[in-house]
Order: sequence, then C-alpha cells, then structure tokens
Amino acid sequence: MTHPARRRRRRVRLPRGLLTLPPTFYVVALLLGPIVLIALYSFNLRSQYPGMPTAFSTSNWHDFLRGANNPFRDRFIYSMKVTLLVSVGTVLAAYPLAYYLAFVARKRRYTFLLLVLAPFFTSYLLRIIAWRIILGNNGVVSWVLVHLHIVQQGHTPSWLIYSTFSVALVLFYTWVPFVALPIFVVLENMDRRVLEAAQDLGANGFTAFWRVTFPLSVPGVMAGFVFVLIPTTGEFIAPLLVGGPNNYMFGNAIQSLFASTADWNYGSVLALWLVAVVVVLMIVFGRYLSADLQERDAT
Amino acid sequence: MRRMDRGEFLKSAGLFSGAVLLSGCGSSSGSGSSAGPKSHPPISSEPGNLAILEWGGYEAAGTKAQKYWKIPGKAYTDKFGANGITYTYIVNDSQALQKASQVPFDIMHPCNENTPDYVSRGLVQPWDTSLLPSFSELNPFFVDKAKVNGEQYMIPWDWGYASLTYNKNHVDPADATSWDLAWNSKYKGKIALWDGAASNLEVAALKLGFPEMDNMSSDQLNQAKQALIDQKPLNKFYWQSEYGDMQPALKNESIWIAYSWQDVPPILGANKFVFMDPKEGRLSWFCGFMLGANTKNYRHAHEYVESFINKKACVDMMNIYYYGTANSTVKSSDIKDQSLAKALDLGNPEAIAAPNVHLQSWEKNRSAYDLAWEEVKAA
Repeated sequence: MTHPARRRRRRVRLPRGLLTLPPTFYVVALLLGPIVLIALYSFNLRSQYPGMPTAFSTSNWHDFLRGANNPFRDRFIYSMKVTLLVSVGTVLAAYPLAYYLAFVARKRRYTFLLLVLAPFFTSYLLRIIAWRIILGNNGVVSWVLVHLHIVQQGHTPSWLIYSTFSVALVLFYTWVPFVALPIFVVLENMDRRVLEAAQDLGANGFTAFWRVTFPLSVPGVMAGFVFVLIPTTGEFIAPLLVGGPNNYMFGNAIQSLFASTADWNYGSVLALWLVAVVVVLMIVFGRYLSADLQERDAT
Repeated sequence: MRRMDRGEFLKSAGLFSGAVLLSGCGSSSGSGSSAGPKSHPPISSEPGNLAILEWGGYEAAGTKAQKYWKIPGKAYTDKFGANGITYTYIVNDSQALQKASQVPFDIMHPCNENTPDYVSRGLVQPWDTSLLPSFSELNPFFVDKAKVNGEQYMIPWDWGYASLTYNKNHVDPADATSWDLAWNSKYKGKIALWDGAASNLEVAALKLGFPEMDNMSSDQLNQAKQALIDQKPLNKFYWQSEYGDMQPALKNESIWIAYSWQDVPPILGANKFVFMDPKEGRLSWFCGFMLGANTKNYRHAHEYVESFINKKACVDMMNIYYYGTANSTVKSSDIKDQSLAKALDLGNPEAIAAPNVHLQSWEKNRSAYDLAWEEVKAA
C-alpha cells in the first residue's frame, strides 16, 4: 500500500523538459521566428510585395558593410556615439539620485521614488512633444532666455532643438529614473554593517563610499547602463521629433525603410545588424553581471 | 542559385511593376470592369464598415476626427452614420503605397503619380462611374489622366501646386525666384523641406535642369541626391505633417521657407507669406479616390465618394482647405478668396499641366528614388 502523500507527489511530477516548452515556444515564435524572417528579407529571399521575383543576394549586406561612404553605416556610428554619451550621462546623474533615495531620504524614499516616476505615467510620445514645446524657438526656455535679456527675441540658440543636444537631453530625461531603480535596489539591500566596519577602521565618509559603497553598487550601475544602452541603440521617436534632419539615428533609418519608403530588404539588413550588435552587448555585459552574481553567491 | 546585385534587384522590381502594368494593357477587361453594379449585392447587404487610407484632415464631415469642413462626406455620414468608418493615416505617397500593400482598404486616396503602382499590384479595381451622379461634372482632363488601361481606377478630387512658401518679412524677394532658394545658405536653419521622398528629388531635378524629373537616369538621380545632401544642413527639420509641423513653424517664425502647397498663404496670411513661382516651374499634383480590389463595401464606397465629389462638397473643401477640386462646375464666384481662385487658374481646365508647371507623374524606378531619399536622410 502506497502512502497517500507520496502518491500525490508522484502525480504532480512532470518531465523537466515539458516545463521548458511554453518559454521555448514563446522564444521561437516571438523572437527567433521574426529574426529568421528578417534574415530572409535581408538576403532578398522574400519581398513585401506579393508576386515580386526574389533571388538570393548578398548585395544589400555588401552595400551596407563594404559600400564606399555608405550613409547608413555612418548613421550607425553616430547613433552609437549618442547612445554611449546618453548611457554614461544617465548613469552619472542617476547615481546621486539613487544614493539619496537609499541613504538620505529614509522613510520618505518611496514617496520620492513615486514622484520621480510620476511623469512616466503619461505616454512617451506626449513627454517628447512636451519637450518640443519646452525647447522650441518660441518655447519655455527661449521665453526665459529672452525675458532675462540673455538673448534677443528671435536669436535663441539654434542648438536648443533639432540638434544632438536635444536628442541626448530627451533620452537622458527618459532614462534617468529607470537607471536609478537598479542602483537604488542594490544600495538599499546593501549590508550597512560593512560601512560601519569601514568607519570603525578609520575610513572617512568619502573613503567609505569609494572603497566600500561604490564597489558593492557596481552591479546596479552596470544593470542601469545596459538598461539605457540597449534600447537607445534602436531609438527613433526622440530623434524624429526633436532631432532634425542632421540628427537622425540608426533606428530612424530602419523605421523609415519599413514604414515610409518601400525597401524592407535593405531595412532588414539594418535591423539584423542592430540585433547582432545588441546580442553582442548583452553577451559582454551579461557575462560581467552573471560573473558578479556568481561571486556574490560564493560569498 | 543566381545571385542578384543591388542594381539588378531594383531594376527587376521596376521591370516587374512595368510588366504587370503592360500585361494589364493587353486586356481591356480588368477584373473590375466586368463587375457591373448588378454583380454586387444591394447596399443593405453590405457590412458598411469602411476602412479608408487617408491623409490627416480629410475625414468625412460628421466623423469625430473632422473639425473643419462641414459638407464633404456629410451626405454619407448622415445616411449611414459615422461609426462604421475607420481611417488609417498616411504622411506621404510612398508610405501610402506601402500601407496599401500590407492591409486591404475599401477606399484609398493616393495621388496621380502612384496610380499605376496600385493597379499593377492588384490593390484596386475600377469604379462603376454610373453609381456616381456627380462624375459627369468632373473635369475631363483629370478624368482622363486618372484612367489606367482605359479604365477609371481613380476618381479625381483634389489638386494643387507645390513650391516653396516664404515669409516676405525675412526673405528677400530677389532671392525667391528659383528653387535655389532652398539651397541659399543665407537662410540656414530657417528652411524646412517635406519628408516626402520622391518630391524632393523632383525639386532637385528641376534645380539641376533635368527635363524628366520622374524618369531620371541613375547618374542624374545620384546628382539630385547629392544636391539634397548638400542642402540638408540648411534645414531646420524635414516636416512630416502640414498642419502639425510645417504651418505652426512658419507661423511662429522658427522657419521662414518651407516646401508647401498653395494653401499656406491663404491660411497663414497672404500679407506675410508668398507662394513662390520659381523660374524652373512649380510642381503640380492631383489626387483621388481608389476602390479596394476586394472590398465588401462596393456600394458604400461609391456612396462615400459621391458625398465628396458633388459640387457643394467641393466648394466647401476649396473654401476651407484652399485646394483645387476636380469638379468643373465650381466657378470662381463660388470661392471666397478670389486671390486663390486666380492662383489656381480656375477657369483653365488644364492649369496643372500648363507650360512651366510640372505635373508629378509615375516613376518607373520608384524604389531607386525612395532609397535615394533614405540615403539623403541618413547622410
């Protein structure tokens, strides 16, 4: 006779492989499948127009990777520069915010956190349009500059909008709270006894921060950095609305080739290239983060 | 498997479109021509849920989206209600063709230069003009131009010119005699061309003196592309929406010069804004309604279009949006702004093809034009 509890346990035991089926299905259907489709387009094995003749060709890839003065390649390099600038700037700005929330705000930290996140309850598009109003020629910033007699009417700085500055500023604004979150979580969960130990051993406030707090918060910093870096590589809305003609990013070229003009084949080359770059970034930073986690587990 | 280089691929795309078009020419009875009104069920049997590919601002009166005009489309929404109509919006002709190729629509509103592409891709069917009482009032010049393979694939409706509009308080009229104005570095940062793909290449072709702006050789196309790359730093932005981007920027003077249609001075003030008459000639265009190849709302679509092309609707559209209309019964005396009537040359049925006016027409190498424009934007 079998004990009822043991019988029950045997019944719920499922083959381990079976449990991985739903996520595997999602990954194949929603990630790998579309990537394969995009790859087919990039080699001219599919066309967006039914009935259009197709034939394997690497010409689009060759044109993008090796073509002389290819503008899309230049646009990619420009986008990566903007992305790095925004990512570094965002992390630098988010760290003090996270530090304040974790160590200074005390009981009010979640109230402050909510206030920081409040603008993000509205749509991303609306927030960018608001920035257009703020930075525009007759916008809030111009109005202030004119009324403080810093500049004359009609002579506001041309770089305020439709410039790399305006794109970087909007992206910076967008990501600061999201980068602050992982840093805040790491700082919040930090064992405060190590700071007390540092002080007991004679470290002043700055030394304790630099030798103890900051190294322990690096996983949060890296996670925040990746949070910005990866989505910003494909960004297109901010450059479209506040970037102007000379500040389009790589994502704009992809969006335009798919949605505006009719060259999905070339657009697929750019999209696949971006996917490859993001995968490389994830491998590089993912390995760093997982190594750090393993270290923490070991301790 | 034979490899294809980029040029060959673009050529094959053009040839494919041409071949499909020519194959259509061989047969005078297209799929839609044989389908007379009798082969379609009565309107009461149709679902009545019209899916329309449209430019923002052109919605039927009576729909929530339409805030300005009172009559175009009103007869339809009064009779059938507005709730069944769904609009999908477009911002340029290339995007329109792109969207129409992906999703079936009952009615589309493209422009003349794209009509053959819609036909060759099997996206549309001819209209039954007997179901459109106002069809006989339409300008025969437009009606004829809107035919493909001898069949009425498009019902022409709106038309106009394209040129540069400039603010005469800031721009020296002596500089505004040619398309070169867009290339004048004196106005750097105060210019906005349209993100309108092929249109800018046509402008560059006129500036460079290429006679066939819609049939440029690949060398000419490269020169036009380079001219636009040279011009690019002078732009404040490339505008996407006439009413959302371009007109507000002209009004608040963040730009002084914009690619536009003739409606801008009447809307923003003719005392301040001038629609330029370049020595190389203006562009001209006309657009109209096309009927989805597989529409289940055949009679609804005809009713809808009739509610736009009748004289009252056309007068209302002209007086509010300042475009020309294809309805030839609209006279100068119907137009409130007589300067507009004069500018449109309303008495001349062939005004848009007058000497020194360049009617935008079909580009057989459209994909090369589109890619060239993408390269300009990416440069």
